[in-house]
Amino acid sequence: MATAQATPRGYIERPRPSGLADVIDIILEKGMVIDVYVRVSLIGIEILTIDARIVIASVDTYLRFAEAVNRMDIANQDGSAGLPELMEGITESGSKSKTKGALAGAKETLGLGDDDDDDKKQRTRTRTRSRSRREDGDG
Amino acid sequence: MGEVHVHGVVPRSDPTAHARRVDHRDVAALVSDVEAGDLTAANVLRLHWRVLEEAATTATVLPVRFGTVMTGDQGVVDDFLAPRHDALAAELERFAGKVQLTVKGSFDEEALMRGVVAASPDVARLRERVRALPGDAAYYDRIRLGELVAAEVERARERAGERVIGRLEPLSLAASRETPAGIEAAVHCAFLVERERVDGFRDAVSKLEGELGGHVRLRCIGPLPPFNFTGEGTAAGSPAWA
Repeated sequence: MATAQATPRGYIERPRPSGLADVIDIILEKGMVIDVYVRVSLIGIEILTIDARIVIASVDTYLRFAEAVNRMDIANQDGSAGLPELMEGITESGSKSKTKGALAGAKETLGLGDDDDDDKKQRTRTRTRSRSRREDGDG
Repeated sequence: MGEVHVHGVVPRSDPTAHARRVDHRDVAALVSDVEAGDLTAANVLRLHWRVLEEAATTATVLPVRFGTVMTGDQGVVDDFLAPRHDALAAELERFAGKVQLTVKGSFDEEALMRGVVAASPDVARLRERVRALPGDAAYYDRIRLGELVAAEVERARERAGERVIGRLEPLSLAASRETPAGIEAAVHCAFLVERERVDGFRDAVSKLEGELGGHVRLRCIGPLPPFNFTGEGTAAGSPAWA
């Protein structure tokens, strides 16, 4: 089926690490923390902005899911052709967690994606308030 | 001497220069000078990633948390490398010859949504109702629908994650299951792998993708510095695999 486009920067053709968009969540959350009293972080404010986006992202995510499920025209198709294996056993109590649309948000926030993210999904790229404000301040 | 970004720590014996280095005994910090034009997170993030990515292709590198800026080369030695020398040297020793590979999977959205509607009568019912109403009238129904769908998707993620961990963990020294982020995201797992076993690991990922029947596309990202296995503090004790 759609396997032809499976690996735009596939691990087989190119053994190099992927673009920034693939690792942004890892980079933002992981790594050694040096004692806060001896470092001077210039970037903390913008990191907080990303956190704020993460909270906002959840209603946004629900609406996008609703849109995705609505977009499907299932009526005249065989509804059973889904993810039989992955979906099996779905009967009760699926309410364990709220969705995290976080990193989609963070990517947008940082204005990443143009040169690093060659994925097919073209999300809206809202240049952020924080970033443009910062640039205004610099200029 | 101005302020510097601190990207990571490598053994001093590492011959390649991925960034400016600040040496102290047998360890070295990879740093770059803070430039006035740097001050947007995106630019600094690119720089940070480039340095670590290049370093990880050949060296053992301990990543430092993004956004770390110190007061100059002397500050890096006095406040970081010197006081934490022993712990840093031990960590470098422990990660020698090992890299992180991160496996991320994303759903085929259409197959996923079809499966959700088929599996959940509640979703199917609410979906019909929402589709019958004009957009604004169904706002709260749409949120509720999305919430139900999100819960189903979460369960699909659980299963996909179990498959990936179950298959790949035996090929690694350590594994860590992370929360997938993003609407189509299905799986996010990190594995610590011997450098010489990276190719075999990639092959296994490729094979596993085939077994998942085209519903989940898997990407194997790396070699990366051991982001997910470098402790919050190096004092946390030895991990089980060491």
